[in-house]
Amino acid sequence: MEEGYAVILVYSTAHALKAEKALQRAGISCKLIPVPRHISSDCGVCVRIRRADQEEALEVLESAGVGIEGVHKV
Amino acid sequence: MITIVDNDTARHNVLRMVQKEGCAVEVEEKEDGIYLRITRGETPQEEPAPETAKPAAGPLVLVVPSEFMGRGEHEELGQILVRGFFHTLGEVEPLPDTIIFFNSGVKLVAEGSPVVEDLKGLAERGVEILACGTCLGYYELKDKVAVGEVSNMYTIAETLLRAGKVVSL
Repeated sequence: MEEGYAVILVYSTAHALKAEKALQRAGISCKLIPVPRHISSDCGVCVRIRRADQEEALEVLESAGVGIEGVHKV
Repeated sequence: MITIVDNDTARHNVLRMVQKEGCAVEVEEKEDGIYLRITRGETPQEEPAPETAKPAAGPLVLVVPSEFMGRGEHEELGQILVRGFFHTLGEVEPLPDTIIFFNSGVKLVAEGSPVVEDLKGLAERGVEILACGTCLGYYELKDKVAVGEVSNMYTIAETLLRAGKVVSL
């Protein structure tokens, strides 16, 4: 199982909240965090998940209608 | 040197200027004007160089007076920001020596708070976490404190007054 975290970047703060709720409903552990400095200098929030959950998380977000801007390993 | 002015504003302006230059001034109000008798003083001393920015001595104290970061019409945003802040606090320097939570800020140290794990991480790294007991009592959270110590106004006041620097969220 892949260790570490990944961050999922979304298009707005509202989407980040929506993503968090959808992931929590699906029982996927996640944390809303500021976008790491090395990824973007924007003052935005993104959703951090465990890398092991990445595939499942992206499916959950897709069916919840959350647009994904990008996924980065952190 | 005598300077004659005809109104109070001019008098004050001249006075301010010459006193700044270290001169002595005698003021005499006559019928035809205000006479300012100015005598050269000693060469004004050079102003001491401004102190270079030095970190203040004493602990760095962060105060958290609210469960939200900043004020605005949407509490949801204030909560996103506070969560982001405490996550980021674990990644930046310098760490505060003490964090004091009061007023609705105490909700952040209680069970169910979204920042409890971040605060536990900070506590493990030696950050002292104090929560106002009166406030916890007010919100009926005294038996739900998940991180830090229940403190009182004496300790809070002393911690603030002895701080080298206080940063308020």
